[in-house]
Amino acid sequence: MRGRMMTLGLAIPGRSGIHRAPLWAKYLVVLAFGVCALAWREAPVALALIGLTVLLYAAAGRRVLACWADPLRYLWWMFAILGAHQWWLAFSAGATGMESAARAVAIVGGMLAALQAARLLLLVTELTVLMDGLGRALRPLRHVGIDPEALSLGVSLMLRSIPAIAASAVEVGDAARARGIGRNPVALAGPVVVSAIDYAHRTGDALAARGLLDHDDEPTG
Amino acid sequence: MHESTVSFESAALAVEDEAAVDASAKAVPQRTVLSPVTLTLSEPRVAVIGANGSGKSTLLKMINGLVAPSGGRVLVNGHCTRQATKRVRRDVGFLFTDPLAQLVMPVVLEDVELSLKASVPDRGERRRRALEILERLGLDHLAHRSVYDLSGGERQLVALATVLAAGQRILVADEPTTLLDLRNNALLQRTFATLEQQVVYATHDLDFAARADRVLVVDQTRVVFDGAPDEAVAAYRQLALREA
Repeated sequence: MRGRMMTLGLAIPGRSGIHRAPLWAKYLVVLAFGVCALAWREAPVALALIGLTVLLYAAAGRRVLACWADPLRYLWWMFAILGAHQWWLAFSAGATGMESAARAVAIVGGMLAALQAARLLLLVTELTVLMDGLGRALRPLRHVGIDPEALSLGVSLMLRSIPAIAASAVEVGDAARARGIGRNPVALAGPVVVSAIDYAHRTGDALAARGLLDHDDEPTG
Repeated sequence: MHESTVSFESAALAVEDEAAVDASAKAVPQRTVLSPVTLTLSEPRVAVIGANGSGKSTLLKMINGLVAPSGGRVLVNGHCTRQATKRVRRDVGFLFTDPLAQLVMPVVLEDVELSLKASVPDRGERRRRALEILERLGLDHLAHRSVYDLSGGERQLVALATVLAAGQRILVADEPTTLLDLRNNALLQRTFATLEQQVVYATHDLDFAARADRVLVVDQTRVVFDGAPDEAVAAYRQLALREA
C-alpha cells in the first residue's frame, strides 16, 4: 500500500491519444462516466462502463493499464462491504437473491467505473495542467467571492494529502507494533488524527510562507 | 549581493497559556514565547543558535509574517510584517526543517512551477524557468521525479529551489540541515554559500553557525548574545554546559 499510495497525483508520461486529448474532453469523459453510472443503475450498464475503462487504460499505454487493478487490489474490502450492504438492503426490501446481487453490482460497479475514469484523468494529465484548467473553469465563481486558484490548489492539496496521511497511518501502525500495542484501530485512530492535524498545520504554514494563500485585496504597504 | 534589512523593534510574542488556567482565574495567564527583541539584520549571513524551545523558530517566523508579534513590530526592507504581509513575503522566502511539508506538488518540476505561477502566467515559460532554476542548483536530473522518491537531502535542495524560484531577496531557513546526513548537510551548506540572497538561518550545527557573518544566541525566549560567530559559539557552549 505504501508504494502505490505515494503515486497518487503522479501522471505517467506518454504520447497516446488519451494523453494528448484536450483537458476539457478528459473532464467531459469523467463527467459522462459519473452521469451514466448514476442515471442507469443497471448491472449490465455498470459492467459495460467498467469494460470501457479497461479499454481506455489500455489505449493510454501498458504502464497506465498496469495501474487499472490498484483500487481493487488495495480497496477490495471496501467494495466488498459496500456490495454486501447493497445486497442486504435490496434483499431486505423484498428482492430475490439474484435481483439483490444485480443491484449490488449496479451500484458498486458504477462507483468503480466512475473512480477508474477519475484515476485515468490523474494518470494521463500533469497536476499543474489540471490545476490550470480547473482554475480557468472555475473563474466564474469569482463573482460569488470564491477564489478559483485557491480552489484548484485545494484540490491538488487533497490529492497530495491522501498519500501523506496514509504514510502517517503506516508509521503509527509500525510504532504501535514496535511497542507491542498491536493493530487496534481505535487505539491507532487518535495518533493518526493528531498527525493529520499537525500535517495540515505545517502545510498551511508552508503555503502561507510561499505566499500561495495571499489574497489580492491585501494592502501592499 | 543582497541589499536587505530586517529590523526588530521591540518585537515580542506572548500567548495565552491555557494549560496554566485554573477554575478561579479571572483571566488567562500569558506565556512569553519571545521577549522583546530590538536589532537590525543587514549582514549577508545571520545564524541563530539556541536550545530547542528557546524562541529561535518564532524569531525566524516573524521575519516572514508567519508569526505576528503581540508587541512591537518587525520591518523587512521598511515594510511591516503585520500590515504588509503580502509585500513582505515577496521579499522573504522560508525554508522549513521538514521539506515534505513544504513541497505540495507530487513532482519536483511541478512544485517549482507552482512557485512561479503568480509571476509567470504562461505555462511554457513557467516550465522553462523552473527547469533553469533546477539546472542552476544542479537538480535538473530530478525534475520529473516524484518528491516521495527523493532522499532527505534532495528534498531539502528541491524545497530550496521552490523558494529561490519565487525570486525573494531574503531567505529564512529554520534548521534546514537538522534532518540531513553529513553528505547532504555539506551539500546544502555549499549551496547556501553560493546564494546571492541574504540568508537568516537557525541551526544546531555550530560549524554551520560559525560560517555566518553574525550570530544571535537565543536562550529562554531572549537574545542573550549578538555578535561575531566565534564569540557567539563560545558563549552558547558556555551557556549550554552551565545548564547541563
